[in-house]
Amino acid sequence: MHDALTATPSRNLMERLKRAGSGAGAAVVLLALVLVFALSSSNFLTVDNLVNIGLQSTILMLLALPMTLIILSEGLDLSMGAVLTLCNVVLALVAVKTGGLAFALAAALAVGLAFGLLNGTLVAALGIPPFVATLGTLGAAQGLALVVTDGQSVVGIPESLQQMSSGRWFAFVPAPIAIAVLAYVAIHLLLYKTRFGNYVFALGGNREALTLAGVKTRSYLVAVYALGGLMAGLAALLLTARINSGHPTAAIGMEFDAIAAVAVGGTSFERGKGWVFGTVLGVLAVGVLRNGLNLLSVPSSVQVSSIGVLVIVALLIDAFRGGRR
Amino acid sequence: MTTNPTPLRTPLFELRGICKSFPGVRALDDVSFEIHPGEVHMLLGENGAGKSTLMKVLCGAYTADMGEFHHRGERVQIQGPADARRYGIAVIFQEFTLVPYLNIAQNIFLGREFKSGLPGVVDAAGMHREARRILDQLGLALDTHTMVADLGVAHQQMIEIAKALSQKAKILVLDEPTAALSDRETERLFAMIAKLKADGVAMVYISHRMAEVFQLGDRITVLRDGRKIASRMPGETAPAELVSLMVGRNVDMSYGRAERAPRGARVLDVRNVHTDSGLVDVSLNVHAGEIVGLAGLVGSGRTEVARAVFGADRLNSGTVEIFGKVQRGGPSQARALGVALIPESRKTQGLALIRSVADNMLLAGLRKRFASGWFVPRRGIGITRGLIERLRIATTGPRQRVGVLSGGNQQKVVIGKWLNADSKLFLFDEPTRGIDVGAKAEIFALLDQLVRDGAAVLMISSELPEIIAVCDRTYVMREGRVAGELQRAQMTEQSILTLGMHDA
Repeated sequence: MHDALTATPSRNLMERLKRAGSGAGAAVVLLALVLVFALSSSNFLTVDNLVNIGLQSTILMLLALPMTLIILSEGLDLSMGAVLTLCNVVLALVAVKTGGLAFALAAALAVGLAFGLLNGTLVAALGIPPFVATLGTLGAAQGLALVVTDGQSVVGIPESLQQMSSGRWFAFVPAPIAIAVLAYVAIHLLLYKTRFGNYVFALGGNREALTLAGVKTRSYLVAVYALGGLMAGLAALLLTARINSGHPTAAIGMEFDAIAAVAVGGTSFERGKGWVFGTVLGVLAVGVLRNGLNLLSVPSSVQVSSIGVLVIVALLIDAFRGGRR
Repeated sequence: MTTNPTPLRTPLFELRGICKSFPGVRALDDVSFEIHPGEVHMLLGENGAGKSTLMKVLCGAYTADMGEFHHRGERVQIQGPADARRYGIAVIFQEFTLVPYLNIAQNIFLGREFKSGLPGVVDAAGMHREARRILDQLGLALDTHTMVADLGVAHQQMIEIAKALSQKAKILVLDEPTAALSDRETERLFAMIAKLKADGVAMVYISHRMAEVFQLGDRITVLRDGRKIASRMPGETAPAELVSLMVGRNVDMSYGRAERAPRGARVLDVRNVHTDSGLVDVSLNVHAGEIVGLAGLVGSGRTEVARAVFGADRLNSGTVEIFGKVQRGGPSQARALGVALIPESRKTQGLALIRSVADNMLLAGLRKRFASGWFVPRRGIGITRGLIERLRIATTGPRQRVGVLSGGNQQKVVIGKWLNADSKLFLFDEPTRGIDVGAKAEIFALLDQLVRDGAAVLMISSELPEIIAVCDRTYVMREGRVAGELQRAQMTEQSILTLGMHDA
């Protein structure tokens, strides 16, 4: 059936969904979760709660978006939670010291970028497997966070920073949600409209072909991880504002949620197959699950397991649809 | 023996006296080759004759040890892929260089994306327009937004060609382009080649199909043992002559075959087997006490037969019977029945190189030798010593690392591993690959010993002289089918190659 005459694919949405990498699993899971929680808790489908879910999902969104690109390149970043934590305490420390936002944010972004570049260099230039390289930097970032804070929380965050959490942009949109949406739009454009985006797919899909095409494969690989670090630095802004402090274990383990969201969203760990909107669905699914379980007073230890189950269910749905190979 | 058609004009590109060696192998020996615009130059040769190496030298993937390159009569250097690209040389290898989840336009212009006004942003519309123009030129009605992952092999091949053309290729190398294509797709490819020819593109075309050679070729060159044997114009030769030029490889055979006892009971019976891996209605059998050859070109399905017998690939239909029992339990059952698969890539599939000789030799027979489940190191070492002696393996002892042994001794370790598991049916995939001449004779003597002790051997080999010297009879594969069976008296290089080639 592979024939020029029969293979003129339509470009409607279903076709795109199918092709984009079996993302339907994420949509199904998200809808099912919303349905279940709406039926089991009267507090779930309220405007306040939905806004709350959005707010709670913003930090994860900033991690999961670059994580999608990293996984598309057949990589992995286990250090994201620890790097976010380090950025959180650095941002808090600088903010307390200077009393302002600008330097603090710059410092957090710089630390995030430095770790991203380190990850990328270890993976691309030294050829260390991403799992091992980022496990190493995870430890380093975590340790540094404890060292610079002496294991204590950093308090006394200036007013201007708290505004990031409570403020409204464009009159009514909560600032964190606005930032997360802008981040999505930016990453979407980056992935689908730029040369860099093409190369992300090629890094995972056929790295050899990219090299043969004369592209400096390693530089692009470093850039992918650097973007992850940078986004962790940006996420630190939202995290610090939300918890109104710096805490040396603030975001430990968050890479797990990020990787889960990407997987639920239908991005494969092989062949550069995936789509970034699926990750948005995956992040919301994780957010809805955590929120719903909170409303039902399920202990947080059980919540962690439930996210594992969520990942498996989403992958099973895709497998049954024949989307995954 | 060499007769060159006199060139009437300066060739577009010329290779002169190219030599290339790899450790232990002289892959190319003083090969000269010329390419003319608007001409299809067919390149023929058996497996391992040096065709691919020559093309890799041409495209800069390998650097020649000796020899000259001339572009339009001027001497030039080809040190890397960038040099080759400068002279418009593009190669379409059998492995594709496409990215599955990018669309056709993005693939064609990978690494050469059109720039738009904004930094980093690609001019997608422009790329699709240009891709459309190239596809139209090739007569392809595909939508340029289609993901490559959604295309069949034939279309992927066409996209590779489109990619080469978009780089303004003047010299296009096609390595067995029709191997994966159906008849209709092949027709389309040929139409495309005719069109390119008319546009003055020069092509080098590697093929194993005689019909193609005469249908497309403007010039035919035969390689054998890394040497150019002859160049002919299609009008002045015939398939039979080309086959006779291809055979007669110099394979050192200092091996004398021992007299064999009459064969015993039927050990392996493969009946009408079809698989996803490409086997079509394969039937063959092997008896105890005989060595049966499995010949055919690379990709003809020989390895797939071994995998099907071993239970590594699922059968769609047909049966495999081993010692009278139907095999349906996969590799573990095959092993329990006494089947040993000795794969082609010893180093990745047959041995744990960083482990000791003993560790490797004991692996397959652990369950049989240590039935209680407890491993007794001293007994293991003892068993290994016995095998080392029996197989005459040159090693310092059971504790030596396998990785430091020579190729021949490594192969013996693999054989010992299966002997220790009480195997009775041995499937060898290219048993002499990467093994020096002396060790080859020893390996063959070992095979002889195996069958004399009542084992059965199925031996896959690309070295026709070896098959003829060692085997009692041989099956010849072609395109996933058994093209024929030859008894010992009928086996010649010519008869095997004729069966294995298309339309020869």
